Amino acid sequence: MYIYSEEEKNRVIYDHDALIIGAGLSGLRVAIELAQKHDVAILTKVQALRSHSVAAQGGINAALREDDSWEMHAFDTVKGSDYLADQDAVEILTQEAPRAVIENELWGTAFSRTPTGNIAQRPFGGAGYPRTCYAADRTGHNLLHTTFEQAMRLGIKFYDEFFATSLVRDDNRIVGVTALEISSGAVHGFTAKAVVVATGGFGRVYARSTNALINTGDGCALALRVGVPLKDMEFVQFHPTTLYGSSILITEGARGEGGHLLNAKGKRFMGKYAPDKMELAPRDIVARAIRTEVLEGRGFEGRYVHLDLTHLGKDRIMERLPGIREICVHFAGIDPIDEPIPVLPGQHYSMGGIDCDKYGNTTLPGLFAVGEAACMSVHGANRLGGNSLLETLVFGRVVGQKVIEYLGSAKSPSKQVVDDEAYRIREKLQTMTIKEQGESLHELRTKLTEAMDDYVGVFRNANDIKKALKVIREVRIGFENLALGEMDQRFNYSLIRALELENMIDLAESIAQGALMRKESRGAHWRVDYPNRNDEKFLKHSLATLTPEGIKISYKDVNLGRFEVKERMY
Amino acid sequence: MLFRVARSREGGKITHYDLYKIQEKKGMTILDGLFQIQDRMDPSLAFRYSCRGAVCGSCAMLIDKEPRLACRTQILAVKDEALKLKPFPPLTDAPPGWDKKTEILIEPLPNLPILKDLVVDMTKFYKSLEDLKLWMEPLESKHPRLQSPDEREVIRRYVNCIMCAICYGSCPVNFENEEYVGPAALAKAFRFEQDSRTTDPERYGEAARKSNGAPLCDLVMNCVKACPKGVAPGGAIRKLKQ
Ligand SMILES: Cc1cc2nc3c(=O)[nH]c(=O)nc-3n(C[C@H](O)[C@H](O)[C@H](O)COP(=O)(O)OP(=O)(O)OC[C@H]3O[C@@H](n4cnc5c(N)ncnc54)[C@H](O)[C@@H]3O)c2cc1C
Ligand code: SF4
Ligand code: FES
Repeated sequence: MYIYSEEEKNRVIYDHDALIIGAGLSGLRVAIELAQKHDVAILTKVQALRSHSVAAQGGINAALREDDSWEMHAFDTVKGSDYLADQDAVEILTQEAPRAVIENELWGTAFSRTPTGNIAQRPFGGAGYPRTCYAADRTGHNLLHTTFEQAMRLGIKFYDEFFATSLVRDDNRIVGVTALEISSGAVHGFTAKAVVVATGGFGRVYARSTNALINTGDGCALALRVGVPLKDMEFVQFHPTTLYGSSILITEGARGEGGHLLNAKGKRFMGKYAPDKMELAPRDIVARAIRTEVLEGRGFEGRYVHLDLTHLGKDRIMERLPGIREICVHFAGIDPIDEPIPVLPGQHYSMGGIDCDKYGNTTLPGLFAVGEAACMSVHGANRLGGNSLLETLVFGRVVGQKVIEYLGSAKSPSKQVVDDEAYRIREKLQTMTIKEQGESLHELRTKLTEAMDDYVGVFRNANDIKKALKVIREVRIGFENLALGEMDQRFNYSLIRALELENMIDLAESIAQGALMRKESRGAHWRVDYPNRNDEKFLKHSLATLTPEGIKISYKDVNLGRFEVKERMY
Repeated sequence: MLFRVARSREGGKITHYDLYKIQEKKGMTILDGLFQIQDRMDPSLAFRYSCRGAVCGSCAMLIDKEPRLACRTQILAVKDEALKLKPFPPLTDAPPGWDKKTEILIEPLPNLPILKDLVVDMTKFYKSLEDLKLWMEPLESKHPRLQSPDEREVIRRYVNCIMCAICYGSCPVNFENEEYVGPAALAKAFRFEQDSRTTDPERYGEAARKSNGAPLCDLVMNCVKACPKGVAPGGAIRKLKQ
């Protein structure tokens, strides 16, 4: 049980100019931009290197070669987004891409190389040019370790294993954050003139997800609760190829290197769905193709298809896809040199996130968002592989610069408001941990995440989505009566997981409501009952806000630009 | 399968072991088993996790007296695998009552202070990265540097390190000598020294050869056997010593 001493109750609050929540690539990159000018600190629920960015495999896009251009990259991105991306933001993303990649190379990232020593690039789904730079199939690992090294070099202050419990709003501005120190169980207040949410995606709202177990979208839910809308939440990317069983990602790079998708009849089926691009069609198309094969009875055990690499040969697999081979051996007991890999689609990326502009500004002054937690939007209805690592580094820098501008004129925040909020959170945690009889955390989480898999997945329809919303309501009520069981104050991971579930309930409802209201099919959002895109009504971003009656959806315009809205064909 | 799990509510030392019956399925990992305990039997059990895919380095622990990543260790395969490490006390002192045949023994990673249950204090491990200044000095340039595939190959295995500290926990020198910076930091220093792009390779070699670094290594090579990522720090340290 949580009982706080007098000393803890009167704890002095921490104070920084800017506080960044999240130590993945985007949070680190913002901090690096700020470090030389301001007192900045990073607050993170896991040590930086354990952030989900580490898991990215395939690569990062940039038009580096002379016969490629940022315009071509921008076109691929906008088309891939099914025209829902904001084109002004995409321009920054693609124009700044070479700089972001080169910067990381100069910091020491060990990119794979061409025979002449240039940064190697591979083809990736939905791209008209092989522009995905990679470091074997461990690109995120290499970028994150390198970027963390630079943060260390600059002596950036980290609050490791601090779980952000709320954002603090004073009237019409942000004034700080409250956070639970996992090692002690104490709740601290942090005042800051600017707060940057860089908490990553929320894949764990789904039971089958390629994401790290910690990807619960905390920052998005906290923003929602201080009145900041979430944008385009219904757009959830399902990766076509996740390992059957553990849902670990099998990178698109495996298809980029020449892997084939085979159904249970042993037939290469992508020709039917995307005759030109075949296995390298964009993710939503490949995911739907696999689901269709399975639903029409051509899956193995009625569940999955095969990704066959055997024809690539041992040397190529060992050289280009060593991480994939390791994953198959350790998590499925299969060696892709000898046997095909059993794969099926699983949740992979959250296109939606905190509503913000191309500089990370949210509707609340002083609150910024960046990375997968943000929705600027550069991915629109469907993200292209290799564009999200890019987003973290490009916009980490851009948002950092905007925070510096903001700090120039921002006044000091009120300590009292932050202190009061910390007090409120302490009371809330005490209540949560005091109950001895009630609902089980594990059962509530399973119920929520399986409903999202079953009813708001690759193929959607109004009936299913309504079923999901019903389950979400039940889970919300169940959560009020949650009993965590006998508890310690220190390292209370059950409490952490309960707070994560509380966040996921709001996000699940935002996703499902957005999906119900969007009566069209666009990018990753596929409504069986509305199979066509409807630009007249829905060439719009959806905005989810939290009201006393639950999540409400409204719409706002997309920033169009140089690329004309067309049908998306591959 | 039974899990015998080391407990330490206040940290410092293992106070007792709890026995749990795990409902195992084919393909289940030790980490899955620990979640089963936390979810259904004992919500107070503390352990670290993040990626569940052997890339984030959070979940190193001692499993049947061998340092391993919990998320990459199959429950059904534990009893058939052996790293054959050179023994030192944490790898040999078995708790009374442990039935090796039927129970999987789970303990915190050795050589780092216990904070709670399976959670250890990694401060020392991280601090050595800072002490040795294991980063590149950034260059101002508009162009990336060239590096041939062969030059990259020289550093490939070292850049794969996920900082899980398994090498640190498997090393008898780290057990005996609090000062020793440990294999991972030295392998990383070697990575920078050997990188064809580094402008000041000497600095990394010098840092690694300080008295609390490479000279303390006895070339036991437990790190090479235990590392889950094939980094082989021992090979790097051997070269650093020359
Ligand atoms: C398996 C996989 C492979 C991928 N491969 C690629 C690829 O090849 N190319 C590509 O471009 N993209 C890829 N992506 C996507 C890409 O990796 C992510 O979008 C990107 O890394 C997100 O970075 P981030 O900095 O926004 O968030 P993250 O790296 O997820 O970091 C989030 C941070 O927030 C912190 N945090 C969260 N909640 C809290 C809280 N409550 N309190 C305190 N701190 C908190 C965490 O501790 C963490 O430090 C892949 C994604 C997956 C799942
Ligand atoms: S060298 Fe290997 S064992 Fe040591 S920290 Fe790195 S990955 Fe882990
Ligand atoms: S949980 Fe990431 S390495 Fe095990």
